[in-house]
Amino acid sequence: MSNQRKCHKMQRWQMAIAFALVFLFAVSFAFAAGQQENQAAGAEETVTLEWWTWDSEEYDEASQRAMAKVFEETHPDIKINMILMPVSGFETKMTTALGSGVGGPDVTFFSIANWYPKALPLDDLIERDNFDTSIYYDAFWKTKTQFDGKTIGLPLGVGAQFIMYNKDLFDEAGVAYPEDDWTTADYLEIARKVANPDKKIWGCEILKRPFRAIWFNHGEDVRLYSPDSKVVEGYLNSPGSQQAYEWFYDLMRSGATPSVSDMETLSSENTGPVDLFMAGRLGMATLNQGHMLNAVKEGMNFGVVREPGLEGGERYVNAWSLMVSIWEGSENPDESWEFLKWYVGPEGQKFLMDNANLFPSIGSVAKQYKDADKDYVQGFLKVLEDTNVAIWRGTHPSGSKVESGIKDLWDKIQLNLISRSDIKAELDALVPAAQLTLEEAKKTLGK
Amino acid sequence: MSIPLKGQNKGISPVFNKRITVNIKHVIKTLFIHLCMILIAFFFLVPILWMLSTALKLRWEIFAWPPEWLPREPHWENFREAFKRVPMWGYMWNTLRIIFFKVIGELFAVPLVAYAFARFRFPGKKVLFLLVISTMMIPLQTKLIPLFSMYVRFGLIDSYWPLILPAFTGTPFFIFLMVQYIKTMPRDLDDAARIDGLNNYGILYRILIPLCVPALTITVTYTFLWTWNEFLQPLIYLNSYEKYTIQLGLEMFKGMWSVEWNLLMAATLSTMLPVLVLYFFAQKKLIGGIATLGLKG
Amino acid sequence: MKRSKRSAIDRRQTIDAYVCISPWLIGFLIFTIMPISFTIYYSFTRWTIMEPPVWIGLKNYIFMFTKDPIFWQSLKVTSLYVVMSLPIIIIFGLLLALLLNLKIRGMNLYRTLFYIPAVISGVSVAMLWTWLLQPDVGMVNTLLDLVGIKGPGWFWDPVWALPSVASMSVWKVGGSAVIYLAGLQNIPPQLYEAARIDGAGRRQAFFKITIPLLTPTLFFQLIIQMIECFKVFTEAFVITKGGPLKATYFYLLYFYEEGFQHFNTGYASALILVLVTVIMGMTVFVNYTSKRWVYYAGEDRAS
Repeated sequence: MSNQRKCHKMQRWQMAIAFALVFLFAVSFAFAAGQQENQAAGAEETVTLEWWTWDSEEYDEASQRAMAKVFEETHPDIKINMILMPVSGFETKMTTALGSGVGGPDVTFFSIANWYPKALPLDDLIERDNFDTSIYYDAFWKTKTQFDGKTIGLPLGVGAQFIMYNKDLFDEAGVAYPEDDWTTADYLEIARKVANPDKKIWGCEILKRPFRAIWFNHGEDVRLYSPDSKVVEGYLNSPGSQQAYEWFYDLMRSGATPSVSDMETLSSENTGPVDLFMAGRLGMATLNQGHMLNAVKEGMNFGVVREPGLEGGERYVNAWSLMVSIWEGSENPDESWEFLKWYVGPEGQKFLMDNANLFPSIGSVAKQYKDADKDYVQGFLKVLEDTNVAIWRGTHPSGSKVESGIKDLWDKIQLNLISRSDIKAELDALVPAAQLTLEEAKKTLGK
Repeated sequence: MSIPLKGQNKGISPVFNKRITVNIKHVIKTLFIHLCMILIAFFFLVPILWMLSTALKLRWEIFAWPPEWLPREPHWENFREAFKRVPMWGYMWNTLRIIFFKVIGELFAVPLVAYAFARFRFPGKKVLFLLVISTMMIPLQTKLIPLFSMYVRFGLIDSYWPLILPAFTGTPFFIFLMVQYIKTMPRDLDDAARIDGLNNYGILYRILIPLCVPALTITVTYTFLWTWNEFLQPLIYLNSYEKYTIQLGLEMFKGMWSVEWNLLMAATLSTMLPVLVLYFFAQKKLIGGIATLGLKG
Repeated sequence: MKRSKRSAIDRRQTIDAYVCISPWLIGFLIFTIMPISFTIYYSFTRWTIMEPPVWIGLKNYIFMFTKDPIFWQSLKVTSLYVVMSLPIIIIFGLLLALLLNLKIRGMNLYRTLFYIPAVISGVSVAMLWTWLLQPDVGMVNTLLDLVGIKGPGWFWDPVWALPSVASMSVWKVGGSAVIYLAGLQNIPPQLYEAARIDGAGRRQAFFKITIPLLTPTLFFQLIIQMIECFKVFTEAFVITKGGPLKATYFYLLYFYEEGFQHFNTGYASALILVLVTVIMGMTVFVNYTSKRWVYYAGEDRAS
């Protein structure tokens, strides 16, 4: 018995030692890995910057790598560690890193408004280097790089939503191509004419959310809440909003659009009606320059026109520029700035324009665009001339929360659960809850 | 060995011609079972067939109307294109390496922890076991930020350690599974072994583990499958393109403005094969357990 | 004398037990307790991830229970989903496992085929289901048309959306069957032998032997699948986005949108803790009842 116990005891100790060893091994490896990195950083003179980016139709992986190489050649003391990640994961990864306050990138896209507080203000650096910011399209500079009275990034490229129409389908139906001054009523009319239900060809897609120019063009008061983000009353339920919702109601009942289920089934995740348009089953679709490049590649016969508005009303364009910023936690802000101003400056944007498909946010560079004489580029340029770059989602990041509150009304209109005359009452009924949401969200998100 | 569930007839008849009827009945029954199996298998195969059909189509053909269940012309080059676009081979290799270490980790930790919960009496056991189960309820997203901060501070970002280390502490799912499994083993086994002079660890490693092969097989196959399909953690913890795993590679087919469904499906199908091959061989190990004792004894 | 010997054994057992569970215990402290204590703290704050959290006491919880209809809606929808989906997985999984436990030629192949849906990850399956259940041209409604039934709008009908999502669980039974299959191996065949000699029929054998001896596995499945069902997310995230009319606005979807899209992360932390409490309560309840219906061959007879 005692012998057995001894043996038992010994094995227990063996087990304990085995555990200890495994964990010691793991922990020491961890520290070794960490130290190695530090040594590598200390031993060399050069600074390595972490640059997070993704692969897109406008700037693919290869051209971005090539661009980083050119930068390294001209700036021998800076190395660029380009970290390419799936677009779908970027948001999560950024939010995690920014929230942790450690492990973030030096330079990257600050594509979400909630991240803005974590971007390094650039005003001092711009002033120090006399960096000329007037090279950028004014409208994009003013709307896309400023936050809280500070400049927090530089705008890379421009993009815009516009309507692409399939010329073949228009010709088949004998419908004239839309003109720039067309109205939302024309849009419905044309969509009806182009649609061919027997062949499952539709005039246009359905709207999923209230943030397209065609929506906003219904009037100044077509917003979720006031521009100062304080009041919902008089905006969500304004006459303009009512008109927009009624127009949407007519669109849903027009028979010119695919059903909701068709849209969900036949268009891929989050990328809108592009698949249906490319398959030749949509007469018109609201798309952007990235989709346009795909259509060019596929040899489609299409035209480009801006989104319609009201007769004589103000016209807007949903346009954007992707802001590239320096993370406030960057250990090398000076070198990051060197890279940022080169990459989003004339050299970098020209490189991405020539070697990939970026449409630059710098007017003087954009003029040299390789296909500038093609009519789709001309069409796109014309769209951009509308410098009314709208920010109709409101300046407050709580917009998405308020918007999700009105989703039920969208469902009701889409599923035909209410009549046209109910719309005003439905909108009025949504106001108190939306106001509460806005106030709650403001407590959290500030301002 | 008899097959209880398929069950020959009630009572064995000594009469010869009755036996022939039994045999014919048996044949019909077997045929019937096969028929059922094939029907159900078809039902389960639909997704694969649909994926294959999508993988062989042209990019926009997928959205044609009326919906076409077969491609007009099979485009096998989609598979080549998919592998050219994203370094899938490298990603598979990376993922396999992670799986290898995770499997070692699970096989080390899970039986030990489960053994204690299944066989020992100790203070705090019930509460601790509830905690084992409750850790499964917490979605990963809630834990991401603190864990990420920790790994950054330890310098483990862009290494496989954050993916592998948790396996060495045992995944609650497997621990729970193993506890349930060991609990069904009769205590007589332990007692007999103890009389033979084995201590607690001896009982675990010499007696119980060999009987736990089905549960261990599940541990291995599930570790494999889950690691293979894991997206969030590799995304957060890995930075270098060369170190990425399968799912990160697959996500690369989803572009900024559109998804290349045909390539995505081609790549998804190809990466599924290793999992199915592993399972094909592993499921043979699902046989064993206490049932084999009868044969030995 | 006897007592002290007993306590010595107990002490040794306790030490051994803690040595054995130490890997898990260490992991639990690092990978669960550490992060979850942050979550608990955040649940008492307003926090946007980007700015430092602001302590607001119980306000998140008070708001949730008194002013937030979406919280109740998502809890209701999720519970309904569990009620619909759990029986499918538990029962069909068992039936499939019994089928796969037959000893016929080619079983290895069948088993592998049935496992396929479990291998494919969420998004592809979701995409497939939208095609199958498409109201106008989907396979299911086309078949229903043939027998003269006008099929519903499935995912796009407020009434049918939830059952449609729940029916997707059918594909998951392959995974659950594997676990049953392992459990079936622990039933000594001699028992069936003995039952047959005693003149028991197959049905009797099933209910008197298979089911009782499978209860530990059933118990495991019940708890695990219940947790998984409560955590339903991908289906709604990819297909329905919680609609129509919030008919599939599952709890985790709400949590995700609050925490990572609306950056209302303090509130999201409170949401998730409430869910964990709910599931924990259910688990304790199931565990409590288990004493009556779960049979362990290796039960500790002393206790």
